[in-house]
Amino acid sequence: MAEFSWASRSPLEQALVTGVHGARGVEAGILLTEIRNFDLIQVMARRGKGAELAKAAKARFGMAAPDTPKAVQTKDATLIWSGPDQFLVLSKDGKYAMNTLAPAFSGLASLSDQSHARALISISGAKVRTMLAKLLSLDLHPAVFQVGAAAATSIDHTSVTLWRGADQTDGRAVFNLLVFATFAESLWHTTLDAGAEYGIDIRYSEELA
Amino acid sequence: MRIVCPFCGERELGEFTYLGDAKPQRPAADASEDAVYDYVYLRDNIAGVMSEHWYHGGGCRSWLKITRNTLTHEISTVEPAAGAGAAKVGA
Repeated sequence: MAEFSWASRSPLEQALVTGVHGARGVEAGILLTEIRNFDLIQVMARRGKGAELAKAAKARFGMAAPDTPKAVQTKDATLIWSGPDQFLVLSKDGKYAMNTLAPAFSGLASLSDQSHARALISISGAKVRTMLAKLLSLDLHPAVFQVGAAAATSIDHTSVTLWRGADQTDGRAVFNLLVFATFAESLWHTTLDAGAEYGIDIRYSEELA
Repeated sequence: MRIVCPFCGERELGEFTYLGDAKPQRPAADASEDAVYDYVYLRDNIAGVMSEHWYHGGGCRSWLKITRNTLTHEISTVEPAAGAGAAKVGA
């Protein structure tokens, strides 16, 4: 048997080049940040167990998991709606991993570790809505898509989970995207093309926004 | 054309895929060959109001049962198909 050493790498490690992309000589209209090294668990209620799961989740997280397209922030995790009777648990440093969550939802839900199956991209900046309007068919007007709003939708025929995080300290909106790892590079290039005219400041971070 | 997903809200057609007539029911295991043939192959070609299955694959990945007028594309009802959002809908 061959010995393997599995080292996790970001699916965007090749595509992501930090620095400015697109328009120069202007303040970058888009801030594009990949978030790396997160824990992501998909929780899906078993048949007929939706109400019991909701109760168990509330006990576990200290607040109710969203049952409509929303994302809620608990003290140490983000719970994101991903479909009827299912949500994602996004956290860091192993606070919520399979070995801790599976016993809590035993018999109520099916869990699946998506930590290395998705890429997480955070998009903000003065031109963020103008840019996202090229990619999404959703209405992202501040009055319609408020802080904490979430959606399961598609960009460029690629399924994404989108939610609006807490505003930055300067009051600007932040949109977070979860995309399947194998589609991340394609979506990344699409995003670069859409944002190039506004200037993009590209970074990566180990911190959840 | 847009479809109001009962879980996601109003979405563009591109997020959905069409399965077809929602009427055919799988015959019993001991059904006649004619009944199985009918179930697998024969479809009504309705000019008017029709019950259809659609899949919201570009969104919440739920199966939906939609009543649509094939002449006008007017959609009168959208509901989760049996088993969609299993825990909530039951079935």
